[in-house]
Amino acid sequence: MQKTDKQVPVTVLTGFLGAGKTTLLNRILTEQHGKKYAVIVNEFGEQGIDNDLVVDADEEVFEMNNGCICCTVRGDLIRILSGLMKRADKLDAIIVETTGLADPAPVAQTFFVDQDVADRTKLDAIVTVADAVHLSSQLTDHHEAEEQIAFADVVLLNKIDLVDENGLEVVKQRIKKINPFGKIINTTKCGVPLNEVLNLDAFSLKRVLEVEPDFLTSDHDHEHDDDVTSLSFVSDTPLDMEKFQDWFTKLLQTKGQDILRTKGILDFTGESDRYVFQGVHMLMDASPMGKWPEGKERSSRLVFIGRNLETMNLKEGFENCKSA
Amino acid sequence: MKADLNNFPQLNKTKFENRGKELRLGIPVINAVTVGDSIAVGFGDGTVRIFSPGKSSEPIKAHKGIVLCMAKDGDHILTGGDDGRFLRISLDGNINEISNFGTRWVDHVTSKNGSVVCTSGNIVYLWMPNKKEPKLLEHDSTIGGVAFDSKGRKLAVSRYGGVTLWKKDYSNKWTSSDLIWKGSHNKVIFSPDDRYLVTSMQENQLHFWRLKDKIDSAMSGYGAKVKSFTFVGDSKYLATSGANDAVCWPFDGDGPVGREPICIPYVGKQLVTFVESFPNENAILTGLSDGSVYLSEIEKANNTIIIRSFTEFEVSAIAVTDDCSHLLIGDMGGNILWTSIWDEEKN
Repeated sequence: MQKTDKQVPVTVLTGFLGAGKTTLLNRILTEQHGKKYAVIVNEFGEQGIDNDLVVDADEEVFEMNNGCICCTVRGDLIRILSGLMKRADKLDAIIVETTGLADPAPVAQTFFVDQDVADRTKLDAIVTVADAVHLSSQLTDHHEAEEQIAFADVVLLNKIDLVDENGLEVVKQRIKKINPFGKIINTTKCGVPLNEVLNLDAFSLKRVLEVEPDFLTSDHDHEHDDDVTSLSFVSDTPLDMEKFQDWFTKLLQTKGQDILRTKGILDFTGESDRYVFQGVHMLMDASPMGKWPEGKERSSRLVFIGRNLETMNLKEGFENCKSA
Repeated sequence: MKADLNNFPQLNKTKFENRGKELRLGIPVINAVTVGDSIAVGFGDGTVRIFSPGKSSEPIKAHKGIVLCMAKDGDHILTGGDDGRFLRISLDGNINEISNFGTRWVDHVTSKNGSVVCTSGNIVYLWMPNKKEPKLLEHDSTIGGVAFDSKGRKLAVSRYGGVTLWKKDYSNKWTSSDLIWKGSHNKVIFSPDDRYLVTSMQENQLHFWRLKDKIDSAMSGYGAKVKSFTFVGDSKYLATSGANDAVCWPFDGDGPVGREPICIPYVGKQLVTFVESFPNENAILTGLSDGSVYLSEIEKANNTIIIRSFTEFEVSAIAVTDDCSHLLIGDMGGNILWTSIWDEEKN
């Protein structure tokens, strides 16, 4: 491996057909002068893309034989990203545009699972472009729309000029209920400062520490059993590391298909460091992240985004991890 | 305090480096193939260079981006690139575009007895000798690798879920059968005696099929993906990358099932990134992730010599000329060593 090379950031653009993904993409490409981008598009792209380096992809999802039952990856991304990393000229960034009906999980999991991809590139953020007019009905009709919101680090709520204030608020509440972490940005024609969608480093553990989730006052009523929702837990009592690992490992192994994303900052008894983790389905990235800041209360915070969360006894499980 | 000298990479230049030609191009070396007494090298800027004894090598501007794949075709080479072009290039640098797929990459190329193949996405494009239009062989998923058997009558196409084995009958009609194994299969090769088919997988393992009875098995235990593997000599061993040792599986007799591989260790716990058989010997050239390259006899323990010292960049290409007079080593940092193998040969 080329030890001096930095990992190239990869931004994933998701969103339903017509939401404005290609508009955002072309804005990024025309406004970031002097930067070298590679753009990976699917063959059903909405309109032309103005860039030197455009690669056609097939969105080929395949299963890994690694014992992880929900572990799917994007085979075409592995092939294309590995190829791009052999180029003599170094890229500033890579943008992956997915089809409207794509599930973002295999894209994210590719960066956890494939060593070559993980060594040379890093998932910077998942940016979901949503149509303020149609998102509510899309969320009801298509589970892919829920997943795209659930995985988003940024939701670009586009076409807000076409809805009234009340309608906009309803859509925003709906998004927050699915995903308390995602930053919602209101736009028309995807007019957003590009530093709010690029170079976010949203999948780094450091960022988990920085982003305060935007929790709703909890009302967990919803219309369908398979709606994506979020649940969060806080404890001021330190946790027992062994108990937590037992519970959490088993939970992801048995319920990982329904748990889309997890994030947490943990305070373990007898440990001076903060433990930070984040996960996609059954895959996790976790590490101690330095001492607790002085003068700040130590506490553990845990957030789940997924389906059927209320059936998993999460509160009870978390409570049982507290040190006696 | 005492330093562990065994863990230090070789710091002095080898005799091969001292008498050979070293190029520091700074452009990643992607692949190298032998054509007679010459070796063609493909680079990460789309150029190709031809190395021949006594001649200088000038860059040939073949592709716009990367030379993704390369194969020998008689006294020419075939290349595929991320510019969608499929090319035939002569050793003196004349380029002939066989086909152009636009924004779709040409991922794999191969040839045998005048038949020429490239793949793009899930389709094999097969040009039979003297035919202008290719035959299209379609598959359900993107193609991971492609290989002819020694006679050119079978074409193995690896993909997600196994290998499609195409056979040509005597009326030149191609029919297919499936060799199934769950997972995504990448590079595929036939053993030189055509008895076995071996693939590398997305997981850190290889898979093989014995073609006469379709017995198949995994070869696993690797710490990394197995990107480079080759049969040695007359199919007695399969040498593989992907571990700290060069792992050599026995393919004589009834094959590797139930047998242990021979593991050739190297100092410093580097990853083996490239293996190439040494012609006419039961020996392999092994390239490591720190750029060092060794020549090892498989059945003789401790019979290893160093060919190239470390460069810090992983070895991505090793090739030996057909007459076994010269060898070429390339790495991802764009360093090349082109040297005579025997002391009296000229570069």
